[in-house]
Amino acid sequence: MKINENFVLREVAGSWVVIPIGEKSVDFNGMMNLNETGVLLWRELEKGAKKEELVSALTAEYDVSAEIAAKDIDEFVETLEKAGCLEA
Amino acid sequence: MLCKIADLIVKIPTESGVTALCGDYLTNETSEPDIIIEPDKFFVDSYPDYVDIETINYLESGFQFSANLLKFGGFYLHSSAVELDGKAYLFSGPSGMGKSTHTRLWQKVFGEGAQVFNDDKPALRRIDGKWFAFGTPWCGKDRINQNKKVPLAGICFLKRGEENKIRRLDPKEAFPLLMSQTIRKFKKAESLDLLLNMIGYLLKEIPVFELENKPVEEAAMLSHKTMLEASKEVFHEN
Repeated sequence: MKINENFVLREVAGSWVVIPIGEKSVDFNGMMNLNETGVLLWRELEKGAKKEELVSALTAEYDVSAEIAAKDIDEFVETLEKAGCLEA
Repeated sequence: MLCKIADLIVKIPTESGVTALCGDYLTNETSEPDIIIEPDKFFVDSYPDYVDIETINYLESGFQFSANLLKFGGFYLHSSAVELDGKAYLFSGPSGMGKSTHTRLWQKVFGEGAQVFNDDKPALRRIDGKWFAFGTPWCGKDRINQNKKVPLAGICFLKRGEENKIRRLDPKEAFPLLMSQTIRKFKKAESLDLLLNMIGYLLKEIPVFELENKPVEEAAMLSHKTMLEASKEVFHEN
């Protein structure tokens, strides 16, 4: 899984937001806010991480079981897919 | 023709179809233009058939100006801008929220002293650490527009409400609102970063409010009183 390069992550006024550029910005409504976990996963996905790699990244950083991490990741990936942030 | 807009020399060719709006901005300065409007790069074909060419020229020239403005520490804010006692107050929000109505109320309450100097896309620039609002030829259908440079006192986003209520927004709340009322199309991440950089400064330096309002004079009095008080921080008047 890899982040579509038409979306960039930026920090403004203490918040992390995903903002579309290029063609994507035309039909764009609003920005997506990411929390700390979201930022961590986004960074991994920019590098094209596999799900197992996302799970290890999350469990390495946070005191969370692989099972719960995997569930959170599924939810996050689904949100990104719906928003069109992932490469097809 | 050569114009001076937002303290920048802008070359606006006759073919751009907007020179009629620019009379107030003509300049005799002969320096190289900072910005050149290029009508051959207008995306005329991207508009539906029912949009007339005058509107397309107006919008496309405005996009070109605002895309270039980013390079000079500025951006436009979709808003109605009013000057009172040498300070600029900008009222922003989506169409239909009563921006123009609100600045007309200021004129009603404060009389001649309150001047609406742009009713659509005033420019904001940070120059030597200070923010200014400028009139631009991109001023909306009423063509209300004066070539002015006014120190920026504050920005207020309007919302329709049952009563008049104003509150100061923290930067996290103000950021998405500002982003929704300025340039939306970014070809490259570099232009987005120029905008984010400017908005980052603005959020630290300029008070931003949200006003729930009914279109009555009390709303104008409330926004003025609150924004004037907060502007004392900006101008170090306390």
